[in-house]
Amino acid sequence: MPEASELLRDQLARVALGDRAALRKVYEATSAHLFGVALRILRRRELAEDALQEAFVNVWNHAGSYRASQAAPMTWLISIVRNKALDHLRSGQVQLTESLDADDEHETKQIADERPDPMQLLLAAADALSIRACLEAIEASQRQSLALAYYHGYSHSEVAEHLRAPLGSVKAWIRRGLERLRKCLDGPT
Amino acid sequence: MDYDKPELLNRLAAEYVLGTLRGRALNRFERLQLELPRARQAVAAWEESLNALAAVVPAAAPPGRVWEAIERKTGANRTAPAPRRWDWLRPILGVALGAVLTLGLVQLAPHLFFSLDRLAQREQALPQSYVGLLTDANNVPHLLVSSTRHGTRVTVKSLRPWQVPAGKVAQVWALPRAVDGGDLAPVPLGVAVPTKPPGSTYFELSANSEQLLSNVPRLAVSFEERPATTGEAPSAYVFSGFCVKLW
Repeated sequence: MPEASELLRDQLARVALGDRAALRKVYEATSAHLFGVALRILRRRELAEDALQEAFVNVWNHAGSYRASQAAPMTWLISIVRNKALDHLRSGQVQLTESLDADDEHETKQIADERPDPMQLLLAAADALSIRACLEAIEASQRQSLALAYYHGYSHSEVAEHLRAPLGSVKAWIRRGLERLRKCLDGPT
Repeated sequence: MDYDKPELLNRLAAEYVLGTLRGRALNRFERLQLELPRARQAVAAWEESLNALAAVVPAAAPPGRVWEAIERKTGANRTAPAPRRWDWLRPILGVALGAVLTLGLVQLAPHLFFSLDRLAQREQALPQSYVGLLTDANNVPHLLVSSTRHGTRVTVKSLRPWQVPAGKVAQVWALPRAVDGGDLAPVPLGVAVPTKPPGSTYFELSANSEQLLSNVPRLAVSFEERPATTGEAPSAYVFSGFCVKLW
């Protein structure tokens, strides 16, 4: 299916020229996946909708800065969506532990329950990328920290709280874990 | 902070992409990306590595109001879209796509997540491509012509300085394999432009390489008055050479 990627590259090139139909096509091809990514991080649908919408406005305005030789189209799009979602997280709109009314609480809980364990996602990703053995060689605490940070957008202190570990240790786990994960992801399969 | 240290830049880029860089450090690093190409490159490299992890996140169809808001904010004219024939299929496709994504889109479509160079590196193999090495009458290589198997872009790399006579263009031809003893006419592919070696330029094909080149053992270049159209005959070939499948 190399055509899918090339099609997406072509459409992004057209978006850069102001082609609205191409933007629609990019949206149709990628929005479900990108919405899933935003939803993992933000939990709440309305916030994930905002992040997705802002991301596509960004794509429309900055498609000209996309360099096909340097990045795969999905990589570029995921980066934009994750950054928008992380912006929302950092702006403090998302209260993960409290809620104003009972309905909200219910909703938050429900969505939170639907979120797969980030560790399972990381292992699934490792399987899909054929790097399971390499990933499993990474210390469990490092892996867990990375999974919580990447899939849920947790900060150092949130990871520390979740794992009930000292902040200093978590920072070191993430630093070392990132280097080892990068080697797994970049290395030959 | 001493941003000249590559390790520091690399670490900041990694935490930026992961999302753990916060507060003032985040603001500083975002500014740094605007000023320092090396910072942007480090970020791009980490994005390409880490974002492959996102491929397994289950997909979820966003509601229609998201697209409507995007249209509003990008200044589209408010015209009602005509209903489309395949609209009823969309929810079904959404679910199917979600399943596929959960199973691992990376396996099915790794090129969506990796640049072509990185894919080749991962696979320890060159991407499937058509490649032609074109030499002059003395067998001296002048041009490297290549395109990915399913792509439409042909890259022409100049290996030595060469020139096109004034008022002419360098026409690239595909010379198809003869079938049943009869010769097939050369097919014009596009126009090459000389670059300073080892620079390259490209032209676009009318169809993908697989369609145009699967039965083409040789490529050639001639100088023509204007870009040739299908059916026209080439004048004398200046460069020619074998075209091979790289897979």
